[in-house]
Amino acid sequence: MRDRDYLGEFEHVVILALLRLKDRAYGVTVRQEIELRTDREVSIGAVYATLDRLERKGYVASHRGEPTPERGGRSKRFFRVTADGAEAVSRTHRVLQSMVEGLGFIRSYA
Amino acid sequence: MTWKSHSVRPPRIAVWLISLFAMAEEAESILGDLLEEFSPLASKMGARSAQKWYWRQTIKTVPRLAGFGFRTAPWMTISAVAGGFLLRRLVGPLVGSAAFAALERYQDFFAHHIGAYLFFASTGLDIEHLITFLLIGFVVAFAAREREMAATGVLALIFAAMAVIACVYLVIRFGYIASLWRLTWYFADSLAIVLAGAIVRTHRLTARSRRRAA
Repeated sequence: MRDRDYLGEFEHVVILALLRLKDRAYGVTVRQEIELRTDREVSIGAVYATLDRLERKGYVASHRGEPTPERGGRSKRFFRVTADGAEAVSRTHRVLQSMVEGLGFIRSYA
Repeated sequence: MTWKSHSVRPPRIAVWLISLFAMAEEAESILGDLLEEFSPLASKMGARSAQKWYWRQTIKTVPRLAGFGFRTAPWMTISAVAGGFLLRRLVGPLVGSAAFAALERYQDFFAHHIGAYLFFASTGLDIEHLITFLLIGFVVAFAAREREMAATGVLALIFAAMAVIACVYLVIRFGYIASLWRLTWYFADSLAIVLAGAIVRTHRLTARSRRRAA
């Protein structure tokens, strides 16, 4: 039962990156998307460790692409968000929204 | 410019480190991703900056890969580590007995060569211990397929921690400061275990790439 399984901060960021990238989501694009939008350097190891954890939870699925010369003949591993993953994102957003509601912190701290 | 960027290669040691710690499929994705980003970076910012970036990525990636290797198969890693402990208990006394048997067997020689005797009885024993730990590392790495570095790394850390605790106890309890110097040998023993893991892993990677090429 995963009704109370919320995403961690970086898990959340990674899943949102996958949703933005759609069928172009693999290590390089996910890493660059996160760097671009969060303005912080992210290691490829952190991205894969999180993606593997999400895959074991059933929130993400992956498949291999074709090997390409610019990757030294190595294949890409593409990722997509599963229905369970999309549900986990919604659940996490609901919880965050509910926690933020009434605080008016945007007005106070903006 | 394009030619120059293609001639620049990622740091070989960094590539080797990632191959050591990542599982086969993961290594393929990670090394491919890093190379894909490295080549444009090298042509845009120069080889040095690109190599620095590659090293930064490697240094941040390796600990995560080691942790991931342990978390995905904790029982396999724990069993390999426990096997290493058991082996140490079994083999340790044998090495000690063999060393003292050698001292006895060649006592006539050692009686006339005190320098050789002192070396054998002190540094020689330490070297024998080092070789024992190297062999234990080989066995543990052989048992922990795909997680050679995680298993040998955990075992090495445990032995190193035990050595530190024992030395600190000796210093506090008996004021035996000299025991702190022994730590260098104990750390070398731990390093030997990790070295064995790296050797087994590298050998397996080479064998795999040969099979692929065939």
